[in-house]
Amino acid sequence: MAGLAVVVAVVVVALVAPLIAPYDAVAQLGIDTLKSRPPSLAHPFGTDPLSRDVLSRVLLGSRVSLAVAALSVLTATTLGTVYGAVAGYAGGRVDDLLMRGVDAALSIPRVLLLITVLALWGHVSAAVLIVVIGCTGWLSVSRLVRSEVLGLRSRDWVTAARALGATPARTLFRHILPNALSPVIVSATLGVANVILLEAGLSFLGLGVQPPEPSWGNVMQDGADQIRALWWMSVFPGLAILITVMAVNVVGDGLRAAADPRRRHVA
Amino acid sequence: MSAGLATPASAAPLLSVRDLRTSFRTDSGCARAVDGVSFSLRTGETVCIVGESGCGKTALALSLLRLLPPTATIAPGSSVEFEGRDLMALDASGWRAVRGARIGMVFQDAMTALDPVIRVGDQVAEVVRIHTPAIAPGAAWARAVDLLTLTGIPGPADRAHQYPHELSGGMRQRVMLAIALAMHPALLIADEPTTALDITVQAQILALLGELQRQLGMAILFITHDLGVAAALADRVIVMYAGEVVESAPAELFFAEPHHPYATGLLRALPDLSHPGDRLAVIPGAVPSATDWPRGCRFRERCAFAWSRCEAEHPPLYAISAGHESRCHLAAEPGRRVVTAASTA
Repeated sequence: MAGLAVVVAVVVVALVAPLIAPYDAVAQLGIDTLKSRPPSLAHPFGTDPLSRDVLSRVLLGSRVSLAVAALSVLTATTLGTVYGAVAGYAGGRVDDLLMRGVDAALSIPRVLLLITVLALWGHVSAAVLIVVIGCTGWLSVSRLVRSEVLGLRSRDWVTAARALGATPARTLFRHILPNALSPVIVSATLGVANVILLEAGLSFLGLGVQPPEPSWGNVMQDGADQIRALWWMSVFPGLAILITVMAVNVVGDGLRAAADPRRRHVA
Repeated sequence: MSAGLATPASAAPLLSVRDLRTSFRTDSGCARAVDGVSFSLRTGETVCIVGESGCGKTALALSLLRLLPPTATIAPGSSVEFEGRDLMALDASGWRAVRGARIGMVFQDAMTALDPVIRVGDQVAEVVRIHTPAIAPGAAWARAVDLLTLTGIPGPADRAHQYPHELSGGMRQRVMLAIALAMHPALLIADEPTTALDITVQAQILALLGELQRQLGMAILFITHDLGVAAALADRVIVMYAGEVVESAPAELFFAEPHHPYATGLLRALPDLSHPGDRLAVIPGAVPSATDWPRGCRFRERCAFAWSRCEAEHPPLYAISAGHESRCHLAAEPGRRVVTAASTA
């Protein structure tokens, strides 16, 4: 429950960030007087070498980080669910063919692939990031969904659905998939935490969201070359990432416990 | 369909099964679960298929609706005719028009045969919507509530909003019946529908089934291992053993004068309440494996009457009297029954 409260708080902050941010996140407030200032009452998280307010940038950066995480996981989960469901339900050669494709794709290191694609892309917007992360993240989802569908398709109620004249598509999408959903939701939740980290890493490397638009990763990057002097540039966005990812993981673990009847009594 | 071309409905059987053979690929070889079964069913008639576990009853039911797992194949010579149509020749969309609409099916365990995450009202409405695509969702729901009322569920309007796990076993089986009967099928296939229920609920469901059959005029193919249930329902009893029909007779005749030693054994194995404390009669041994049926008569190893002919020659279905058939060489040599009975006494 504490995890959920933190996640809700972070999402609310991201939604109202433009209203509560004390300054314009991309404005240079005074390149001579206000650059690289440590935290103070006027600038609780300090300012960066371009005299921008770090608190405002962290607040606005949460929007990009969370939106990229949520939407790319949604993309990956949708693709992976449909792909895995078709493979699991069709079975036989179709299943073999589809899943060997997934095995092959999974043997490509994802981070290196992302770095290559993003480096070749040129200007990377949040939308590009969502598409690229989403399209490389569905492989493990498809494996999960396939194994769930494989287990469910021999159930009596699947035979019963066929016995009342349901088409294969109806049987799969209306009867089998809803029953396979809870592990998918758990994995998607944990996936959000992963993608927040992944996006931060890519942005830190300069391959994610492009400055001056802030994201947690590139705010850290702005102070990385002087990390001893400008500690506040790394610590505050770092804390934002840490707290958010931990909260999302706690929620994911809670969902997993709730979805697994064998662990219900322990939790 | 032209009435002039078709034979009169009273003469042509509703369902006619000829030489149905279904086999399963298994690790230990090809299992011939249904091995040359023939029977027919008239409109409004109730036929009970009786046999112990592993004799091929359920494989037969699933074969009739083509609901077999991918490891199963139906041999090319098999023929199933229903309402004048050859079911074996149907394509996928042809099957969808038969399943749930002309043939309803009730499964053994209503707990596992209902989708756990869909409200029961929606599950009943679903079959209505599949077969009447133009129907408004509200009308389908109303029809579902009517059907739940028909099957005697108390408070059907409220129950329709519940999930399967919120209902008792008897109520779930009533929901299954509502689904199977939704489109007024000409044939209802019921695969041990009362086996998972306790005895009083079983009696209620059987009474309901009989009542609904009278109202809707459908034929029932009832699969059971329980001869008591067969006695209560059947117009005709078909006994299966090792993938074959071994005896087929009108119900009164079957219970009065069973012929096949397996059938007489089954009847003797029923507990007799007029002699409490007696040891229950049993048939020794178990059904042989479907991957390797014995040569000759498949029941011979468990049969008190077996002699050399039973090993040498696979018995055909002998006609005992009008409508009464038995797959036993005793039909050809009736004297042996007396001799063996005397020597074992």
